[in-house]
Amino acid sequence: MAGQPGTDEIRPAARPPGLARTSPGLTRTSPGLTRRDLLWRSVAGAGLLAAGPVLAACSSGTATSSAGASANAGTPKRGGTLSFGRQTGPTQLDPANSIVEGDVYTLDKIFEPLYITNPAGQLVPWLAQGHTVSTDGKTWTFALRPGVKFSDGKPVTADDVVFSIQRAAGDANGPLSFLDFAIKSLKADGTSSVVATLSQPWAPFLSDISVFANAILPKDFGGQSASAFFASPVGTGPFTLKSFVKGGNVSLVRNPHYWQAGKPYLNAVDFVYINDDNQRVLQLKSGQVQVISAVPPTQVSALKADSSVVLEEFPSWAVDLVFFNEKVPQFADRNVRRAINYALNIPAIAQATTYGTAKPGGSFFPPSLQYYNDVPTLSYNLSAAKAELAKSKYPHGFSFSLLVSSGNSQYVAAATIIQQQLKPLGITVTLDQLDDAAFHTAFEAFNYQAMINGATNDISDPDEMASFQVDVQNGGSHSFWTYYDNPSAIALVRQAETQFDDAKRAALYAQIQAIVAQDAPYIALDYPPNIYAWSPQLHGFAVNPGGAYRLEDVWLG
Amino acid sequence: MLRYAARRLAAAVPVVLGVAVVTFLLLRLIPGDPARAVLGIHASPQQVAQLRHQLGLDEPIYQQLWSFLVGLAHGNTGTSIYYKVPVSSLIWAALPVTASLVAVSAVFCVVITVPLASLAAARQDRPADHAVRVFSLVGLGMPSFFFGIILIIVFAVDLHWFSVGGWGTTFTGHLRSLVLPGLTAAIAIAPVLIRSLRVGMLEVIESDFVAAARAKGLRGPRVLLAHVARNALIPTVTLLGINIAYLIGSTVVIERVFDLNGLGNLMLNAIGVRDFPVVQGVTIVYAIAVVVINLLTDLAAAQLDPRVRLR
Repeated sequence: MAGQPGTDEIRPAARPPGLARTSPGLTRTSPGLTRRDLLWRSVAGAGLLAAGPVLAACSSGTATSSAGASANAGTPKRGGTLSFGRQTGPTQLDPANSIVEGDVYTLDKIFEPLYITNPAGQLVPWLAQGHTVSTDGKTWTFALRPGVKFSDGKPVTADDVVFSIQRAAGDANGPLSFLDFAIKSLKADGTSSVVATLSQPWAPFLSDISVFANAILPKDFGGQSASAFFASPVGTGPFTLKSFVKGGNVSLVRNPHYWQAGKPYLNAVDFVYINDDNQRVLQLKSGQVQVISAVPPTQVSALKADSSVVLEEFPSWAVDLVFFNEKVPQFADRNVRRAINYALNIPAIAQATTYGTAKPGGSFFPPSLQYYNDVPTLSYNLSAAKAELAKSKYPHGFSFSLLVSSGNSQYVAAATIIQQQLKPLGITVTLDQLDDAAFHTAFEAFNYQAMINGATNDISDPDEMASFQVDVQNGGSHSFWTYYDNPSAIALVRQAETQFDDAKRAALYAQIQAIVAQDAPYIALDYPPNIYAWSPQLHGFAVNPGGAYRLEDVWLG
Repeated sequence: MLRYAARRLAAAVPVVLGVAVVTFLLLRLIPGDPARAVLGIHASPQQVAQLRHQLGLDEPIYQQLWSFLVGLAHGNTGTSIYYKVPVSSLIWAALPVTASLVAVSAVFCVVITVPLASLAAARQDRPADHAVRVFSLVGLGMPSFFFGIILIIVFAVDLHWFSVGGWGTTFTGHLRSLVLPGLTAAIAIAPVLIRSLRVGMLEVIESDFVAAARAKGLRGPRVLLAHVARNALIPTVTLLGINIAYLIGSTVVIERVFDLNGLGNLMLNAIGVRDFPVVQGVTIVYAIAVVVINLLTDLAAAQLDPRVRLR
């Protein structure tokens, strides 16, 4: 894990026998289509006009996401109001109960966690100054950053941290509370240090702590009720809430007590809810807003050619895949899945369906994710495909239906190409299109044969994605609703969770990715980036691979 | 007339109730689970079941329908599952946007229709008439989302006369935001009205009393406005009423294109996350609006035509 020089003492720990994977009341599940996915739901109606409902839709050659920041030379100017056009409007601001883009990327300007993920995808200490880990990997001590105040001027203490994380971990309805499952107890050690005792050695813990759900609030909401508190929230973030229309526009103003001296540069930020893709682009071009999220891939090349707009494709922890339901006898046959993988020309599919914005798929880990490995995959080879199918129980082909969400034009296009590319194998594909809400109900009930769907890691540690997609019993989704079950891969996932040595962990994840690539329980089609566009007068804007952007460094020139 | 209006309103109750019940049942027939939309993909089946229970979604349909109707009878449209606030507060926030849009488009309709139809009728079968008829054909055939985007690019992005989208924060801001969507909606409806009014005027022009008016020595424009238009207007007013009711439906697309957070956008988003109470609430508002506009149309027609008796 990206540690903090001098403060981390990460020591390898012996793997304890018999890991308990679930804590009381919490089901240990993992990543999925979370934010993007929910975003689609919130805009499902947009199918009318939206060209590509995928929030993040694609990726191109951007090597690091800090590129955006580096392009912004000059001395920061103070002042101004930023109008930010986004695809979703927030519904509420409680960190522990949020998962939708509009909620998450509003509240993270108001509340901050102990660690955050920077645009390069590394964990950096934030409200914590650093941390230490005991030799058994079960006791984590966080030293709080001195001098941090809430927006009401009161200092942040260890009691606030204990309250906040305990609250997030204990919230049964918290969409991401599972990330805190390893916490056995939390206690304040004085006013500036917090000790977390884990039920088992847990390598991803720092990453778990960095999730927005674990952001720090005043203890007991400063004596108010939760609803009164979240109506006028108090946090340590660079901005505070000025006004908020549920599901609509939000205005934030500078937090005068912000702990980074001289920041934020902006006086205020207005998040404008603009659901329609064309509207977002046109409002940017007309100057009504200065930055927009979720630029549709169809418009990327035109905007890149437009000198009045800066466009950047930030790599994300997201991947689009074809999934096979192994309860269908054909897909339980490994040779069939491999044959299909060989028959698909993935680079061609990625290019055509994302307009060249996304890199073609390989490993099921996205390249921006820690421990990604460029493992050999079953790349396009029709004779190998035919040979694999000949070895299967269905040498002459079969038919199946491919489920897609009808609002997602990228997936519908991919499904149509797949339909064509499987014809030479004698495999007949019928397209099954459902609107997004119905699509979810169908696949979560295993009521599908094959589907195209997106997976997203929420944190910098790949364990979330690995256990969600590989660990059939304990991952929370029966290997992303496929029933893919490879005991040796599962054993490696478990091992990696308790392995604190970076090189050894990397080797374990490389093995996992290699096994999955050969088993082909799902096939990665592309890695969609988060695409943002902004006016050249905006400086210092960058997005991390989780899709989060911090605004304290942003200024208007 | 008041008694007539009261009776018509009373007769509207079963209509609105019918719409409410049908919407309620249709929503529950389509697949998709609001609890899932709230909890996200990580939620365990137990969590989903718990929330469904909390929301009363695990009760038998007839029981849910009954509580919905009882609530409705008390003027309570329920609480949004997704936004967790009363549906009525969401509707009240969105209603002014949609209502202003409909009003502005209706004004544009009239402003476009009356001069063009008069021109066409007065210059029957001459170039002006043909031009108006071609214009109305083009307007009729142009999809509103396409025409709207053209207007945005020309008048908002290039010329900066109006805002690209959104609702603005001041009264003039609202007006600036409503011109283009209002025009877009009006262009889709005006052709029908122009044709109706033109044909109506032509019929009246042939009639004896117009000939008599001309024989008295009245000038052309005065004959056209005072005698012809007044009489030709009656079927057009009825048609306008029907089209405003239709317009309420088409605002759903127009609000999306122009980024107006009115009832249409509210309903589309609610359908996407299966926010049943919101969809039901908005549908009821639409139903009431259509009933009221039809009633107003009939009242207006009666005012214009003394032969019409309202009983």
